[in-house]
Amino acid sequence: MNPTQSLPLLQNALTVGAILFSLGLVGILTRRNLIVMFLAAEMMLQGISVSLVAWSRYHGDWGGHVLVIFVLTVAACEAAVALVFVLQAFSRTGRLDAAAWQSLREANVARTVDHELPSIDTVPLRFPTLTPAGVLPPDDENEPLQREHV
Amino acid sequence: MTPLSFDPLASGPLLAGAVLATVASLWLLLPNGRDNASTRWLGTLLGLAALAAFIATGRRLGGLGEEAVFLIVSLVAVISAAATIVSRSPVYAAIWFALSLAGVAGVLLVLGAQFLGVATIVVYAGAILVMFLFVLMLAQPAGLAPYDRVSNEPFLSALAGAVLLGVLSLSIGRLSAGPATCCELPSRGTATPLTTTPLTTTPSAAADVATPAAANATAAPAAGAISTATDPLAENHVARLGGELFGRHLVAVEAAGVLLLVALIGAIAVVSRGEAALAAEATAPTRPSAGRSAIR
Repeated sequence: MNPTQSLPLLQNALTVGAILFSLGLVGILTRRNLIVMFLAAEMMLQGISVSLVAWSRYHGDWGGHVLVIFVLTVAACEAAVALVFVLQAFSRTGRLDAAAWQSLREANVARTVDHELPSIDTVPLRFPTLTPAGVLPPDDENEPLQREHV
Repeated sequence: MTPLSFDPLASGPLLAGAVLATVASLWLLLPNGRDNASTRWLGTLLGLAALAAFIATGRRLGGLGEEAVFLIVSLVAVISAAATIVSRSPVYAAIWFALSLAGVAGVLLVLGAQFLGVATIVVYAGAILVMFLFVLMLAQPAGLAPYDRVSNEPFLSALAGAVLLGVLSLSIGRLSAGPATCCELPSRGTATPLTTTPLTTTPSAAADVATPAAANATAAPAAGAISTATDPLAENHVARLGGELFGRHLVAVEAAGVLLLVALIGAIAVVSRGEAALAAEATAPTRPSAGRSAIR
């Protein structure tokens, strides 16, 4: 096998992996919702997986595939344990905010204060509408209990 | 060397433009407390420009069909990933992440990793992402929380990510610039006989098991497909992957099983002790340290 035949495929796949990794890095640095931060971390793992499989294809070796399988395993363990901690944190503070735990910071780091936080939704969320079909169901008396936003 | 040799001077300005467009696009698109539709449109346009620049720096693949498939699935993966980190609602972020996983699975399938493509869908989208959504439904207050509409240092983070992306792209482009010292083929043949010998069904390859390189050379064209002609891992893919996993890496598989068990028990232990601590705090509100001592 001539390895240079698959070199363009290797480079393209490595570029895709690099983009996924960088986007995950930006996400985990900027977002403050704990769950979105974990999604960004999983996205970094996806970028690594794409790069590993690309190298594995290029070399004709099974190492990358095997390593990605273990990445999947460790990601499942990490998600389970991390989500338990997120739920515990939410039940203590009532928020999914990472800044709610800034009392854990170093002693010489200043406290971060939110300036100009938007208090209300300036633009309401728009949801897709479906074409009405069938008979309109009767009004549910428990309707105010249901959530209007996601 | 291939005729597609990399010219750093030609693609340098293109990469720089792509990095700058990525910075500006992410900075405009990340949640900043203001919901301004025009800045979001501008950020989307800049992001598409950055994507076009990255596509322009990409290499031509062999066949048009393979190229088109790779382009489509990688665009799905990358655009959905960007939408994941910029969407205000965490539920939408999770759904965009599921779409991104579908794109990543497509990229893995194009790369010839059939088992991993399916496993990504099953494990990530089927199990992990559903768990994330369960936690979101349990813990998300109604409406958009204020902390979902602001972000920490969006400009500096976008700059860091884009610079990292530029450096990575530069070094990826240099792979084809000259004699790649990083990319020497490893001495294949120490590992492959273990798995190819019992599982290969091609008679010609089975006759050549003494020389695995020759076996690969003869077995690869027998696979038939155009895109897998240069892929020595294509034939009997899943069976040989299983042989490799439970042959060379058997101890690691056992260790991964132990890790899964420990994570399961640990998660249950944290939940039960945390609930006990919360109950202790609720019954004794005058002593706030009771919950913390119950955790220890």
